[in-house]
Amino acid sequence: MSRIQIDRLHKTFHRHVAVRDLDLTIENGELLVLLGPSGCGKTTTLNCIAGLETPTSGRVLFDDEDVTAASPHQRNIAMVFQSSLLYPHMTARQNIRTSLAKQKLDRAETDRRISEASSILGIEALLDKLPSQLSGGERQRVATAKAIVRQPTAFLLDEPLAALDAALRLTLRAELVNLQKRLGTTMIVVTHDQVEAMTMGDRIAVMNDGRLEQIGTPDEIYNRPATLFVAGFVGSPPMNLIEGEIVTQDGRTRFVSRDLTFEPKLAAGDAGPATLGIRPQHLHIHAEGRNGAVPVTVFAVEHLGRESVVILEDGGRNKLHALVEPGFAGRVGDRLHAAPDPTHCLLFDRAGSVLSHAAAE
Amino acid sequence: MSIRLSTIWSWLALAVVLIWTLLPLYWFLKNSLLTPDEIARFPPPLYPLEPTPAAFFNIFGLDYEMADGIVRRGSGQANQIIRGLGNSLIVSAVVTVVTLFVVLPLAYVFARLDFPHKNKLLFAILLAVALPPVSTLIPFYAMYVRLGLSGTLVGLIIVTLTITIPFVTWMLIGYFRNLPQVERLARIDGFSRFETFLKIIVPQGRSGVAVAAVIAFLFSWNEYTYALMLVNGTTANTLPTAISGFLFQHPEPSHLAAAVALTMVPPALVAFFLQRHIAEMNLVDPVR
Ligand SMILES: Nc1ncnc2c1ncn2[C@@H]1O[C@H](COP(=O)(O)OP(=O)(O)OP(=O)(O)O)[C@@H](O)[C@H]1O
Ligand SMILES: [Mg+2]
Repeated sequence: MSRIQIDRLHKTFHRHVAVRDLDLTIENGELLVLLGPSGCGKTTTLNCIAGLETPTSGRVLFDDEDVTAASPHQRNIAMVFQSSLLYPHMTARQNIRTSLAKQKLDRAETDRRISEASSILGIEALLDKLPSQLSGGERQRVATAKAIVRQPTAFLLDEPLAALDAALRLTLRAELVNLQKRLGTTMIVVTHDQVEAMTMGDRIAVMNDGRLEQIGTPDEIYNRPATLFVAGFVGSPPMNLIEGEIVTQDGRTRFVSRDLTFEPKLAAGDAGPATLGIRPQHLHIHAEGRNGAVPVTVFAVEHLGRESVVILEDGGRNKLHALVEPGFAGRVGDRLHAAPDPTHCLLFDRAGSVLSHAAAE
Repeated sequence: MSIRLSTIWSWLALAVVLIWTLLPLYWFLKNSLLTPDEIARFPPPLYPLEPTPAAFFNIFGLDYEMADGIVRRGSGQANQIIRGLGNSLIVSAVVTVVTLFVVLPLAYVFARLDFPHKNKLLFAILLAVALPPVSTLIPFYAMYVRLGLSGTLVGLIIVTLTITIPFVTWMLIGYFRNLPQVERLARIDGFSRFETFLKIIVPQGRSGVAVAAVIAFLFSWNEYTYALMLVNGTTANTLPTAISGFLFQHPEPSHLAAAVALTMVPPALVAFFLQRHIAEMNLVDPVR
């Protein structure tokens, strides 16, 4: 168990920057999710923490001890790789045992640990099978057993569920979180699936283009995104983004878009191009026009059972998503009006940083 | 209907291939079991009427008394055959072991690691594969005469290695490249690079190792061109060149046939015991 700190981590591959000046602290016993789009540097960051890659510059600390130069084995981390990599020529048992090959444990202790780990994951019956004889979910469980058997300081998981089908992912992600909480071991999970991140993480670190965009609890990431990127990346259906401009007139500050005028609480001096963000559940649909509503046309209606998603098109052919009651009667082509709830509107400046947290105030 | 037709065609194709490859073998085996006057008969018998193993005794220098009391004398070539057999076994075994030692790490490094000038070196290996052995024959001979290596087993082994090593390396690169990328897993488990290679990669790639061994063995077992030039007529003579000696002797076709049959035994054994691996290993083009 340990607290992991990443101090100005920088990693380049042949002048291509994969991770830029990343600072990150993972608390002891915490489950941190590294979330971001493909190619943003999640795997590279994880590999630097593991010791599989050497940072170009910057340091990695475990419990305030500099381990930047230490090997993965010296750091005593356990890792589960994309698509649950196992040694293909070894049975599940031999795979798990190999984790302990360099631990200098006696045979009885090794066997005890293996049977403990396999009973935790419920894989006792699979121990004598080869990886090729296991299903994706079973392989994942074996890979996890291989990881926990070493009693590592931290678990590092690189898209552990990516290769599985949707139903299995649901089961296994709950199992993983449950396991992590029971063992109390620090865990870092890499994923590009924001639902997985929201459901698993104690905290989420959102990365983009090698940089850390925001780190916070799922609630903070969802309700108080620090940047336009986080706002757009997290949430399904995605947050509605409306381009416009902040103008200051007669001492009053307004956000003005093509179809909308909105008066946020802002300091003067924020004037300039801006983007308004509003979650689909805070975009209300009305039949009649009113102040602060955008005239829209229904483009599609998606029934999800508990609720429905209406996809709307405004005058500029931008798509807006709204969550409505399942009884929503609108049809494609209907002309309606969509009004953002002003208390839940977020404004982002030209650089993408958030300007106001109306919802929080 | 169409399935039937295609089945017939594949059986037909299989039959053609089998006849093509097996008929000459059969003919030799049959001849080795015939008596001299049966061989001399025309038209030749299609199968041995009274099969006799006499020729197999004769080529090892042993007399053989037939049922009718006629004694068939041991061949005068026997010394050559026995020595050739011994030399061939030595050369093939040494070449196989050395080839594996060199080729496994070499192919692995080319397949899995990155280093400067990798592609150029890879093509250097390809070039070595592409050169016909005859083209290096004269230079090798000239060199060997000066070095005192002509007519020695060591010399023959070295020359044979110059062919087996690049060829088998080239073959194995694609194979190693397709093995799962378990190196990171091994690093997490605390294995050094060398340990990973020895304890993880080689056992995982045992099919490839087996096939590499077969290729190296068969090549050196069958090697004729270099042996003819470098060791023929010396104490380092190998079986193929020793057999060719029969051609210039008092004609005894059943001896020749028996000796040829003898050369087929080790390859047949090797193929028999390693066939599972040969079928498992799919070869892949190393340059992709
Ligand atoms: N060994 C390498 N050599 C060169 N470039 C690399 C190497 N590894 C990663 N990169 C580059 O670094 C960037 C970050 O890669 P990384 O694998 O960390 O992304 P990721 O966030 O894990 O993406 P994914 O979700 O697709 O796995 C990518 O642009 C990638 O092309
Ligand atoms: Mg990745």
